[in-house]
Amino acid sequence: MTDRLQNRLLILAGGMLFLYALGLTLSPAVQTRLWPTALRWTHWLALAGWALIFALANQQTQQWLADRDPYILPATALLSGWGLLTVWRLSPSFGLRQTIWIGFAGLVLIAGLRLPATLDFLRRYKYVLLTGGLLLTALTLVLGTNPAGIGPRLWLGCCGIYIQPSEPLKLLLVIYLAAYLADHPNARLRGSGFLTPTFVLSGTALILLLVQRDLGTASIFICLQAAMLYLATGKKRVLFFSAATLFLAGVVGYFFVDIVRLRLNAWLDPWTDPAGSGYQIIQSLLAVANGGILGRGPGLGSPGLVPVAHSDFIFAAIAEETGLLGSSALLATMALLVTRGFHIALRASGHFRRLLAGGLSTYLAIQAILIVGGTLRLLPLTGITLPFVSYGGTSLLSGFLAALFLLIISNNEENTPAPLNHPKPYVLLNSLLLLGIGASMLVNGWWAVVRGPDLLTRTDNPRRALADRYVRRGSLLDRNGSGITVTRGQTGSFRRVYLYPQLAPVVGYTQPTYGQAGLEASLDPYLRGLEGNPARLIWWHHLLYGQPPPGLDVRLSIDLKLQKRADELLGKHSGALVLVNAANGEILAMASHPTYNPGVLESIGQELLSAKDSPFLNRAVQSTYPPGTALGPFLLTATYNDLPALPSSLWLRINGAQADCLHPPSEAAPTWNYAAQNGCPAAVHALGSQIGTGGLLSLYDRLGFYTVPQVRLPAAAVSERQIKTTPGTAALGLNGLKISPLQMALAAAALSNDGLRPAPHLVLAVNTPEQGWVVLPPSQEAVRVYPAGAAQDAIKTLINGEQPYWQAGGRSLPAKEAYTWYVGGSLPNWQGVPVAVAVLLEEDNPYLAEYIGQAVLQAALNQ
Amino acid sequence: MSAVIFLGLRLALVICLYAFLSLAFFALWQSIRQQGKVLAARKVPPLHLVVQTPGQSPLSLHFTQDEFTIGRDKTCDVSIADEMVSAQHARLSFHHGQWWLQDLNSTNGTFLNAEKVIAPTVITSGDEIRCGSSLIALQVAESNLERVQPRPKI
Repeated sequence: MTDRLQNRLLILAGGMLFLYALGLTLSPAVQTRLWPTALRWTHWLALAGWALIFALANQQTQQWLADRDPYILPATALLSGWGLLTVWRLSPSFGLRQTIWIGFAGLVLIAGLRLPATLDFLRRYKYVLLTGGLLLTALTLVLGTNPAGIGPRLWLGCCGIYIQPSEPLKLLLVIYLAAYLADHPNARLRGSGFLTPTFVLSGTALILLLVQRDLGTASIFICLQAAMLYLATGKKRVLFFSAATLFLAGVVGYFFVDIVRLRLNAWLDPWTDPAGSGYQIIQSLLAVANGGILGRGPGLGSPGLVPVAHSDFIFAAIAEETGLLGSSALLATMALLVTRGFHIALRASGHFRRLLAGGLSTYLAIQAILIVGGTLRLLPLTGITLPFVSYGGTSLLSGFLAALFLLIISNNEENTPAPLNHPKPYVLLNSLLLLGIGASMLVNGWWAVVRGPDLLTRTDNPRRALADRYVRRGSLLDRNGSGITVTRGQTGSFRRVYLYPQLAPVVGYTQPTYGQAGLEASLDPYLRGLEGNPARLIWWHHLLYGQPPPGLDVRLSIDLKLQKRADELLGKHSGALVLVNAANGEILAMASHPTYNPGVLESIGQELLSAKDSPFLNRAVQSTYPPGTALGPFLLTATYNDLPALPSSLWLRINGAQADCLHPPSEAAPTWNYAAQNGCPAAVHALGSQIGTGGLLSLYDRLGFYTVPQVRLPAAAVSERQIKTTPGTAALGLNGLKISPLQMALAAAALSNDGLRPAPHLVLAVNTPEQGWVVLPPSQEAVRVYPAGAAQDAIKTLINGEQPYWQAGGRSLPAKEAYTWYVGGSLPNWQGVPVAVAVLLEEDNPYLAEYIGQAVLQAALNQ
Repeated sequence: MSAVIFLGLRLALVICLYAFLSLAFFALWQSIRQQGKVLAARKVPPLHLVVQTPGQSPLSLHFTQDEFTIGRDKTCDVSIADEMVSAQHARLSFHHGQWWLQDLNSTNGTFLNAEKVIAPTVITSGDEIRCGSSLIALQVAESNLERVQPRPKI
């Protein structure tokens, strides 16, 4: 019965590992989505080693320990094999070492089966053993190293082999305590000083560990000592006292020890510093979230992104690749092992054996709970290993020795358990430990299922950038279908190509280090295929690959020919240009200079970030400027039927400086036509006074100066809706009003569109697999600024000669921070596409602004 | 295509894993059930006692539980009003398929068939126990004994 059960369990464990190894072999084909491709084979070596050792151990246990517990060996085999393959998957060189260590530890276990007297030997030499362990640990103070080169120096090593004395030290502490407490069966907690030697020895151990800053092992020590004292005496206050000690140590440590504070802060609130102290834990949670329920499959997650995934964070790696189902099964196996350990303890033939079995089970359970809890942010993170699973020779050997002792103790042939005075502690402690493991499962489910989807959209999730290499990201196209930003390459080496880099301030970039900006950021759900694709396609791709389906192409309203003209004209001048279709608000060109090339972000991103002329800024939308005298045409149109008399002198003295018209008049007697086109300050002032404060506010409202234009781009906040100065001063833009070039262009469109201001429209349509091109309508409504017909007459005064467009200019006042505006647009009777333009230069240069504006208008009207 | 095969592989892996756990927990449950059955099937052979205290009429007692005590104390299962009997004098218990007699550090000792009992001793039908000046004659109901099996291992 026993043998048969053990055989069957081992076969199932082997079957699971075989499937895991098979998955690992096939994983490259799934990842690159190509067949045939280079497959992975080396890890079969590890599986072969594992199978050999456990076949031998199975046969030997049946020969030497006929009455052993049949669950211990299969559970050990499953956990260690699973860990071995995971370590190999993360790093074949570590995997090879782990295979050798499993071979060694397995041989020790097999040899130990023949020597059941070992336990009596251990009991007799308890002081020598624990002192020896302490000396070895103390030696790390002097000779300690760290195989990784950095970090705490807890290892002793030479010639490529490293041992961590604190691992066997835990085992030795359990043996010592079991032996000592069994030798003093009737001791009381208080008086008689019976515990003195215990406290001296374990106190020394604690101090050593604290000096070494091995906090994880130190907390395990306190827990183990409490558990064993409780098992021996049955006094619950031992547990309360130890819990209080741990809590107090934590509080004191928080205020006086840097590393404790660091760890506790990272536990309490990792989100405030996701790149620093919270990095490990957040990456670990991201891995768990990416695993979801079924996991990404062997070899298909990205657990390598979690720091020290092969050792401390191996649980995160397992959760990512086998999901909640896998990690729960791992925890259940651990729970099985622990419960059987306590069962063995209750059936043990003597006090020493009973305490030893109870202590070993507690040791395995506490270690598992502490590190799994740390990985899942249930507990503060302590750098310890997951028994049997984590990479590490000494840890593996300690685990196998614990399993060996449990096997020997369980082989109670006479089946005569020793009398037990307090059975309750065993039941209660086992329940407590199972509760801890159960809590880990629940928290695992919380991160993997409930919080998972949210977590994965975090911008510091490196899996997103990774997915961009394997899944084609949608392209950004201009209105005629030419590519602006496209994805090229093959699965595994997809890369983003910026065909028209000058548009960078608008279309933005997507890049692993710098994240996303512009339309690449706001359209990310479409470009990444998470929006616009049918839900079941997204679900299926997530199930198969853990990645979104191919992204969707998006068409913009930009006309690359006009855009190119605009960029040529702006050249090296700082400023912005917005050209819109005056009838429907589609943005035909949106230039912001200086611009940058997102293709070379990797190498010069830092330079660009700190550049004085802020090339990342989209000046057309994200910047606002004082309109100055450029509002002339809008005011003129508003009061066209009731024009005031033209002031005799058109210049004004503002703050002690003289403000003039843009160009000197060509005729002796200036007209409103000339004054409005050239932003003559006195004329604009007179128009403002004529309209009045209330009229100005409502006009600005209708012109959209107090509304943020919605074009799926981050936009500057609008000015406050108030006028504190006289209306004449306000009309000159001296009341603090600032508007963006896009707002100005839309206002200009109202003049060309018979008084109706169109809603801005930049993203036209998205190409979905099921319905083809789906139109994305503008998110705002058109607004009537002027009564129909009013604008038509007014803008006729803004025409020069035979030009097919109206135009006007202006400059900010006073000219300390000099900005120059140009606005213009098609005439009401224009037969082609009606357009309007706004040009802004961050310099006082009316001639250039006019030149650029006219050239762009001509290009647009002649198309 | 490879991804679909791989999905099957992942499902098979999970099934195998849970087969391992199911087998383990099923075997556990089975052994517990079996143990319960065995324990329920195990009957303690009833013990028939005749207590004779000098100067009192013989007392006939029948026990079906697996443990009871003899003593002067009223709380004892077999309470004997005899000055020579200690308050907690001796214990009769059934384990390992036998009835056992154990002296509880009595002042005047317990005697089985005139031999002093030092360690727990097996008793059989027809044995006579002496506590103080009282004599206890034992009869074990044999018929039930055959059904008792050694406790199975779990």
